Amino acid sequence: MISVQLILLIIFGLAAIWFGWRVFMTSSMVRSALSLLASMVAIGILFLVMEAEFLGVLQIMMMGTEMSIMAIFMMMYMMDPGGLGQMDMYHQKNISIAAGVIVTVFIVGAALAADWGTIATQFPGPHEQNRLLGMEILKRSMMIFETAGVTILTGMIASITVALSIKNSVEK
Amino acid sequence: MELLITALIIAAVLFGIGLYGALSQTNLVMIMMGIELMLGAAMINLVAFWRFLHPDAFSLQMFVLVAMTVMALEGAVGFAIATQRFRTSGTVEMEESAELKG
Repeated sequence: MISVQLILLIIFGLAAIWFGWRVFMTSSMVRSALSLLASMVAIGILFLVMEAEFLGVLQIMMMGTEMSIMAIFMMMYMMDPGGLGQMDMYHQKNISIAAGVIVTVFIVGAALAADWGTIATQFPGPHEQNRLLGMEILKRSMMIFETAGVTILTGMIASITVALSIKNSVEK
Repeated sequence: MELLITALIIAAVLFGIGLYGALSQTNLVMIMMGIELMLGAAMINLVAFWRFLHPDAFSLQMFVLVAMTVMALEGAVGFAIATQRFRTSGTVEMEESAELKG
């Protein structure tokens, strides 16, 4: 039986795939970044369709900011951000297509062949989900969450260090 | 069952597109976009496994948060490398980074 959830899953799944495909099919860098933003928002809506409300909203908010920053960087660093010169930005195209297709077919085959057991029908509501996720973070997964925090700090320091101008630091 | 399989197929196709992008693009920022798509596909899988197989195991949602952290960090470190690369060679085209070979 086709449920509303399945229809929404297919619609927004196809939207995520379409926009994901458009990222690499346009010459304009700004369009690429906006297509990726649309794909990530569609993934966030997929989370909402699968009733993971907190993660869905978080995904949309995070990716909205990240992709906007990405669009700015694309315009800063590209010689031809509008794609007017029709630059060729591909290499090893056939190998890449083959790798993408083989991996997709392999994963789809594994998904279809696997025995997934019983599908859960009962699940916590949004309020209970948030409470249980909070409890998970503060109890069993606290170490992992703390590690993520330290990793962010390390990433920030690494990014600033890498991006510093060598010329200026030598002058000082 | 069809909901889980649909979500997994969507994630598989997105992963394939991301892999194609990461392998075929010559621009550093475009390669990062491919990696972001692959991480997005992994997150769809995690949420689908949580919702349809183990709705009581919130460690799966926890892993989605870790994946989001990885996405943000990949963006930050990638842009830092792009900034330095642009300073030194005036481009972020990876075709012109052959001197990084050993």
